[in-house]
Amino acid sequence: MAATLSELAQLLADNRHLAPEFLMVIFAFIVLGASFGTKNRRVLGYIAMAPVLVSLFLIAGMMGFLDLGLLGLSAFAGPVNVALAGGALSINMFSLIFKFVFLSVVLLVSLTSLSFLTEKDKHVGEYYALILIATVGMMTVASANNLVPLFVGIEIASISTYALAAFRKRDGKSAEAGMKYFIIGATSSAILLYGMSIIYGISGTLDIPLLSQRIGESAWEPATIVGLTMLIAGFGFKMAAAPFHMWAPDVYEGSPHPITVLLAAGSKKMAFAAAFKVFLVGLVAAKADFGFALSIVAVLTMTLGNVMALSQTSVKRMLAYSSIAQSGYILIALAVGTKTALAGGILHVVTHAFMKGGAFIAVAAIAHIISSEKLGDYRGLSRRSPFIALCMATFLLSLAGIPPLAGFWSKFVLFSGAVEAGGWWVWLAFAGVLNSALSLYYYARVIKVMYVEEPPKDAPKLGQVPGPYTAALLIAMAAVVLIGLYPQPFIDAAMSAAGTLFP
Amino acid sequence: MVESSLPVLSLLVLLPLIGAGIISCIPNRRAGAARWVALLFSFLPLLLSVYLYTLVWSAPPPEKAFGYLSADSLHFEERFDWVPSLGVSYSMGVDGISLPLVFLTALLSFLAIIFSWSETRRPKAYFGLMLVMEVGVVGVFMAIDFFLFYIFWEIVLIPMYFLIGIWGGPRKDYAAIKFFIYTHVASVVMLLGIMGLYFQCRDALGYSTFSMIEIAKVSPTLSSGFQYVAFAALFFGFAAKMPSVPFHTWLPDAHVEAPTAGSVLLAGLLLKMGGYGLIRVAIPLLPVGAQAAVPVMVVLGVVSIVYGALLCLAQNDLKKMVAYSSISHMGFVMLGVATLSPLGISAAVFQMFTHGLITAVLFMMCGVFHHSAGTREISRLGGLAQKIPMAAGVFLTGSLASLGLPGLCSFISEFLVFYSAFATFGAWMWIPVISIVLTAAYYLWAAQRVLFGKFRVNLPKKEKGHLDDLHLHEAVALGILIALIVFFGLFPSAVIALTNPVSSAIAGIFAGVG
Repeated sequence: MAATLSELAQLLADNRHLAPEFLMVIFAFIVLGASFGTKNRRVLGYIAMAPVLVSLFLIAGMMGFLDLGLLGLSAFAGPVNVALAGGALSINMFSLIFKFVFLSVVLLVSLTSLSFLTEKDKHVGEYYALILIATVGMMTVASANNLVPLFVGIEIASISTYALAAFRKRDGKSAEAGMKYFIIGATSSAILLYGMSIIYGISGTLDIPLLSQRIGESAWEPATIVGLTMLIAGFGFKMAAAPFHMWAPDVYEGSPHPITVLLAAGSKKMAFAAAFKVFLVGLVAAKADFGFALSIVAVLTMTLGNVMALSQTSVKRMLAYSSIAQSGYILIALAVGTKTALAGGILHVVTHAFMKGGAFIAVAAIAHIISSEKLGDYRGLSRRSPFIALCMATFLLSLAGIPPLAGFWSKFVLFSGAVEAGGWWVWLAFAGVLNSALSLYYYARVIKVMYVEEPPKDAPKLGQVPGPYTAALLIAMAAVVLIGLYPQPFIDAAMSAAGTLFP
Repeated sequence: MVESSLPVLSLLVLLPLIGAGIISCIPNRRAGAARWVALLFSFLPLLLSVYLYTLVWSAPPPEKAFGYLSADSLHFEERFDWVPSLGVSYSMGVDGISLPLVFLTALLSFLAIIFSWSETRRPKAYFGLMLVMEVGVVGVFMAIDFFLFYIFWEIVLIPMYFLIGIWGGPRKDYAAIKFFIYTHVASVVMLLGIMGLYFQCRDALGYSTFSMIEIAKVSPTLSSGFQYVAFAALFFGFAAKMPSVPFHTWLPDAHVEAPTAGSVLLAGLLLKMGGYGLIRVAIPLLPVGAQAAVPVMVVLGVVSIVYGALLCLAQNDLKKMVAYSSISHMGFVMLGVATLSPLGISAAVFQMFTHGLITAVLFMMCGVFHHSAGTREISRLGGLAQKIPMAAGVFLTGSLASLGLPGLCSFISEFLVFYSAFATFGAWMWIPVISIVLTAAYYLWAAQRVLFGKFRVNLPKKEKGHLDDLHLHEAVALGILIALIVFFGLFPSAVIALTNPVSSAIAGIFAGVG
């Protein structure tokens, strides 16, 4: 008995870097259990936020941002670079930075949920539990080094978010969003899995680093192209890249506001984490084959997203299309596939999580006080609710890449990665900056409506914005401004994360 | 090299920024206090810039000719590392070509604030944005790190967008967004050029840096193929800002809709950013590309000069006429730069300086007429000199200055541009000289129709203004400008002596490339 206990202790100590994941799973069940005891939505929300905060803290320590030694947690001192579960999982800068993003997003999501959920919402315990479980799925993908945990992580996150998208099932839009998301998600998972199985058939391994070796050795065959195409399509659906994007606007618009934040800022980024690993590590030998295809997809995605966003009248839907465009920018990193470009892609994942997450939260907060997502109803918002208008304007300018905000730096590193690679890739950067300029049109339009136009004459005085919304907006705003003014540590982290994929 | 123990250049950027911060904290019911804050925090940078100008002016001249962006040529240099892993630093410095423009920025911002003293619509936002604009423009003229340069360059767009969008005329929405998108496209293309330069120089230097000083050391030796492409990207960014034909179509729209002070800053300062970028960055850093582009620059410069002047003849809106005259006058800058000679470059800088002063007078007068008579349409006005003689006199003085009357400052700058163009390109330069006749024609013709003859304001009763002559605050702003126009017309060397050593250094780069 004593021997088994000490073995267990040893096992836990060896896998201590997975503590955030363990914590999240445990608390998912605690929230579920607590929901039988209390119907207080706030309490359940606080229970769900506790592990998120602790995990964020641990992750920051493992990244070397915080000195945990002072708290007696020197076992977690960073920067960490370990392989666990027989090499199937690796905890390094790459996975940590993605986990940091996921956890920050979940923190914002749970904060907004505190005031978003009302007494009409049933199953609050399940809601928070599903959010935590989905996060664990995303975190698993971030550290997966093997196709099996990678796929399992994607599925854990996807299935949880299908249910979350349809959380307000009596609301027609939410139910539609859930259904659409489920059908498209399930299909794309099947395509993805089929692609993986073909690649496995060719290479005989599921281990991603080993895959690159085997693919490089094996002779070129049509099956490789079929497998690659399937993977591009599968990931394309998950990343909402054109021409696989059509589900995204409906789902983002229909889902409950906090879940939209989770989908756009969190689970979509999971697809990028997975794609970076599979394409840039596992299939790097076939880069000449997929690089060109992905660059076409990238240009198509950003252009289509921006053009469609131009004519939207619902701000939430406009942000959904702009989210597609932003995927197009990140795809540049995947297509170019150099260290700088990848660092730019990772940095853009970080900044996009805060600026797009923040923008969706601002939409939620505005919807809370004026009960509308229509652009026309935002008239004169800067005078009726100056704080939210200022936050919204900051996030939008950051999304457009206006310096010195966070989005500017990530776009800068991303596009400069393409310029650095030279030749054909410069055109990709050119397409990127022109698209950025195009996107300014619809971002500026929202700012104009809020700041330039007068509020409607008979506008009633607006109620107070609930505290949790304010807190979430402040966090996102602080991140966007801080990264903008002091980008050095974030650029370094993104560079070293990119370095783990390109040794 | 003149130094100071204080970070004076940062102070120049910070003062208006602090002012804008204070204004945003003023409670709404005391919004009128905003203009006093704006006045103070634009006056302090003006004083500082005058002080720096005199410091540099009175410094002993350098014993020998110095190189471009060398330690001898830069004054009050400041440098802090900002993002070391990318080689981004916060570096500021001024030399003979930026100092006059820094002074111009501080001056016009201050005068534009005085001129808009009676603005009562959302005064907090209005005066706050004016100060933010000053931050951006003055930053552009002082940054010697490419990254910082780009950041200030972009910051300028936002306040201008709002100034046009909130306080503009009937088609302000269209004009504001057109201005924003047009100039943003130009600046992102410029950014691509900067990125290319950055990576090429990183390979040549062995480390990454955005510092113009470091890049200037190696960039002239880069391959000619690269220089063509990079110069084209930078040139596009700067030419669209200037604006040169064929990238000029945003300008008339923006001007016609912008409020008066907005137009003053737009024409007086924002256009100068384009010319300054060309002289500071594109020409000296990419000499091979610049040399190859000389024919293009000459053609665009000449076409802008003549075509802009022809457009002016056809205008019925007084403000649109002044706007098009800016295109014509900025064509002189392009032509002067294209000579790649010390005199031509100095003349281009001086032309930017004088155009800033003169165009401010003219745009302010358009505002006065609009306010006073109720319209700016030439065909509806006549004989205003009888009713508002002071305003008429100032407008006439401004027109005469703009058409190059000897004794006023733009005579010198345009003469020098022509002189250097003749010396470099020969007899074909009679073509732009036509514009002298055209310019005189459109100004005098407009003045004749608006100011002289029988008095009439052809408007429906209720739209008529009250025909006030200049208000005190308007007269102060205009008086200072007129005085400076005369002063720099009589003592052009107050600017040219400062710019000459730097333009010689720039032209010296081409002696090596030859």
